[in-house]
Amino acid sequence: MAVAPTTSRLPSAKFIDAQTLMSIRSLELRARAVVEGFWSGMHRSPYHGFSVEFTEYRQYTPGDDPRYLDWRVYARSDRYVIKKYEDETNLRCHLLVDQSRSMNYGSRGHTKSAYAATLAATLGYFLHLQGDATGLLTFDDQVRDYLPARHGAGHLRQLLHALERPSAGRTTDLAAPLERITSLIRRRALVALVSDFLTPIDQLERKLVALGACGHEVSLFHVLDRAELNLGLDQPAMFEDLESERTLYLDPEAARPAYMKKLDEHCAALRAMCRKLGISCHLLATDQPLETALFDFLQDRLKRGRQFRPAFRGSNGGGAA
Amino acid sequence: MNFLTPLFLIGGLAIAGPIIFHLIKRTTRERRLFSSLMFLLPTPPRLSKRSRLEHLLLLLLRCLALGLLALGFSRPFFKQTPLDDPTAVQPKRIVVLVDVSASMRRTGLWAAARERVEATLGNVSAVDQIALYTFDRAATPLLPFEEWNRTPATDRAALAKARLAAVSPGWSGTQLGTALITAAEALAESDGKQFPGPRQIVLVSDLQAGSRIETLQAYEWPKNVTLTVEAVKASRPTNAGLQFVAESADTSRAAETLVRVRVSNSADAQREQFKLGWTQVSGTGESVFVGKPIDVYVPPGQSRVIALPIIKDAPGLDRLELKGDDEDFDNVVWVMPPGQQRLNVLWLGNDEPANPRQPLFFLRRALSDTPRLGVSVVARNSTAQVLPEDVANASVVFVSDALSAVQGEALRAQALAGKTLVFAPKSAAVAATLGTLIGREGVAMTEVTPTNYAMFAEIDFKHPLFAPFADPRFSDFTKIHIWKYRKLDAAGIPDARVLARFDSGDPAVIEAAMGKGRLFVLTTGWQPDDSQLAVSTKFVPLLWSLLELGGGVSAAPAQWFVGDTAPLPPGPAGTEQTEKDVRFTQPGIREVKIGERTVRFAVNVDANESRTAPLAADELERLGVPLTPAETKPVVTGDSKIVLQGVEEENRQKLWRWFIAATLAVLLVESALAGWTARKENSKQPEAAT
Repeated sequence: MAVAPTTSRLPSAKFIDAQTLMSIRSLELRARAVVEGFWSGMHRSPYHGFSVEFTEYRQYTPGDDPRYLDWRVYARSDRYVIKKYEDETNLRCHLLVDQSRSMNYGSRGHTKSAYAATLAATLGYFLHLQGDATGLLTFDDQVRDYLPARHGAGHLRQLLHALERPSAGRTTDLAAPLERITSLIRRRALVALVSDFLTPIDQLERKLVALGACGHEVSLFHVLDRAELNLGLDQPAMFEDLESERTLYLDPEAARPAYMKKLDEHCAALRAMCRKLGISCHLLATDQPLETALFDFLQDRLKRGRQFRPAFRGSNGGGAA
Repeated sequence: MNFLTPLFLIGGLAIAGPIIFHLIKRTTRERRLFSSLMFLLPTPPRLSKRSRLEHLLLLLLRCLALGLLALGFSRPFFKQTPLDDPTAVQPKRIVVLVDVSASMRRTGLWAAARERVEATLGNVSAVDQIALYTFDRAATPLLPFEEWNRTPATDRAALAKARLAAVSPGWSGTQLGTALITAAEALAESDGKQFPGPRQIVLVSDLQAGSRIETLQAYEWPKNVTLTVEAVKASRPTNAGLQFVAESADTSRAAETLVRVRVSNSADAQREQFKLGWTQVSGTGESVFVGKPIDVYVPPGQSRVIALPIIKDAPGLDRLELKGDDEDFDNVVWVMPPGQQRLNVLWLGNDEPANPRQPLFFLRRALSDTPRLGVSVVARNSTAQVLPEDVANASVVFVSDALSAVQGEALRAQALAGKTLVFAPKSAAVAATLGTLIGREGVAMTEVTPTNYAMFAEIDFKHPLFAPFADPRFSDFTKIHIWKYRKLDAAGIPDARVLARFDSGDPAVIEAAMGKGRLFVLTTGWQPDDSQLAVSTKFVPLLWSLLELGGGVSAAPAQWFVGDTAPLPPGPAGTEQTEKDVRFTQPGIREVKIGERTVRFAVNVDANESRTAPLAADELERLGVPLTPAETKPVVTGDSKIVLQGVEEENRQKLWRWFIAATLAVLLVESALAGWTARKENSKQPEAAT
């Protein structure tokens, strides 16, 4: 069975071609182009905006942000009080982006890493527009950057900047970032893991189970290059592994059947695991328009929101997505 | 086209190599990056189909290079009809020099030399000119060119072999240089015609180190004459030689009790122990030691001088022999006890022999005997009749007193015939005798008594009489005081030459040539009344100089070598002597009868013949003699003749060089093409991974 990326129900002609998109140098512009194009394509938003639920006042103490002073109370009673809200955002989303060396491969003019960064930036920008808090954790064989989930223009800029930062890592270790994010986030959140998953996935299941047990919602974005999906190489050559630097003489024509079989098995195992854990898994080819990924993500969120909303509402008061 | 080494053509199969390599898909050295090899397995290089042979031009060039290389190594040549070899018909002029010196008497050498000569004779063609020479001290023609040319071509080799069979090695030393010069000059003679072909000397010899080649140093070797050495080698290397060590004439060693000999051993000898002693030849022809022989130990390459006592109980022993050696040609030394030479000096004067104030007294004592020379002074009264035998037997005649006119004339005749006279007048009154001796009248002498004393001055040290005093250590004559002398005008004596003068300028010693003889005039005597000469150290040497000038003292060698020619002493007066000298042809004691008298000569083998180690090969070349290696003509069968012709053709054509050059050119083109192709492919290759 050939591995096929997730197909969108939207006509692809309306979206920006991935190669064209990647030619835009700025990551923020790329993310904005995708999201705004997506909005213009959708014409209507099913989601509501920012909502604030006031809980109580408390006495101002030095060190509190003066922005939250209630000036009206001060005018009336000549006391400094701070307004406390139930929550700043509706949703907390943590983007886990793989920046290992294998992500630096690309046969279409852009790398998987650039594609994954654009995807993460798109999701971040989209959530920012919705007023959701977005966090970021980049990793390779260890955790590199971590931004806690916040909402704000400055935070978004920091997030984009962290996504553009080159990684010094080599191999991929999926267990470490999941462990880290499990220990870091206390509240329920959405965790989006963007990786090529070109590493053994034996340990992955346990970490995902642990994450789910903490009440977090998980989405996997499996990013692969088209040449990886069909071993679309023509000439025999000495192939060098980007991560291990192991070299191998390879005739693609001869090696293709075995490769496809192994890749299918790998992807099938990943999908089976996700199905078992109730996790959404999106296989994305790097030549695939990002809007489709965003659409699939939202579709999936909508579906899951309907499915799990009652349960989530009981424990967490917010979240419209 | 033929091939000298056709097996190398198998190397052409290597062409299959490039074809296979071109069939195999190129195992590229290009590295391409890929995200992960976790799903990939290595794949072996695949053989592509024949129709997919790539880079056909490169393949052709590579195959061509290998093919050309294989062709080059197989030494190809074109068979051609052999032309007539111009050197084959060119006549050669060859002198075959055969060594017949004593060292060739060693075991097996002569037979080997004859074989070499016969082999050389067998290789000559009918147009060649051969001369056969033997040599030891000199080269002797056995068969000169003229005789060779006169002889019918079919009989020439047989004649030369017959001549060679008639000779055998002698006992002489080896003058190789002289022999080579003789042979080269014989080659140069070409009967007035220019000889067109090559000239060659074939030397058949043992080339022992004792061969003398010094004469070649002064000889300019002809340019067109080459030398081929056919060296023969002795089967037994050990050769110890025995040589007589002669004593010098004035030695004080007791020559009658000891004989000194030198025992030398060859450098490659295998024996070191020998026995040396006096021997006699027994009736059966074997030599047996007389007395106990001496054990001699001589390591190889060294020599020892041994003093051997003369056995007094067995007089007449003249043969010393060394035993224990492989080669015995130089193991015998003939020794003759040194005899004393006798000389007569005639004194004509009125002296009393025992009177120490008169010159004869000092003359007798000055000319005392030595072991090798005995001088008899015969004194005769000047007024008495002098026997002609006395004058004839005397080497020098001294005259101190006046002679009668008849005696004076007789002496003058003897002087003119070659006798040496010494005129030492006791007084000026004997001036007339001088006039008689020189054949002039009116010769006057005046007695001069210097006020104090006179001294010798202006001595001609270049004259043989004074030459022994030429060294500054001996040239001081000033301590000899002259009390009186006779003044004489040297100009009055014909052909006179003043050899010494007094400090007054008057002549002291005058030499006058008289026919074949000469006359010395001493104007002062050596007796104490005249001078201190008799008691000075100059007196005895001066008298011996006079004796040597008179011809009485002959420096005959103590021993003779084979090949030497010795002059015979004159026979008794009145007899006709037929032979003036004698030539020695073999070692031994040679006896020559002269009248009633028998003269004996001890003749030995030349000492250099014992140096049997081989002469260094480059010695002759160093002296300018061009050597050519000896020709070895292998037996040529039918097949090998074809092979040899092939070798010759191939050597002449040397086609392999062209094939190698073509291979290099093809490889250059192939390298350029391969480089260009690789660059072209690299430029086409798209960048696969970013």
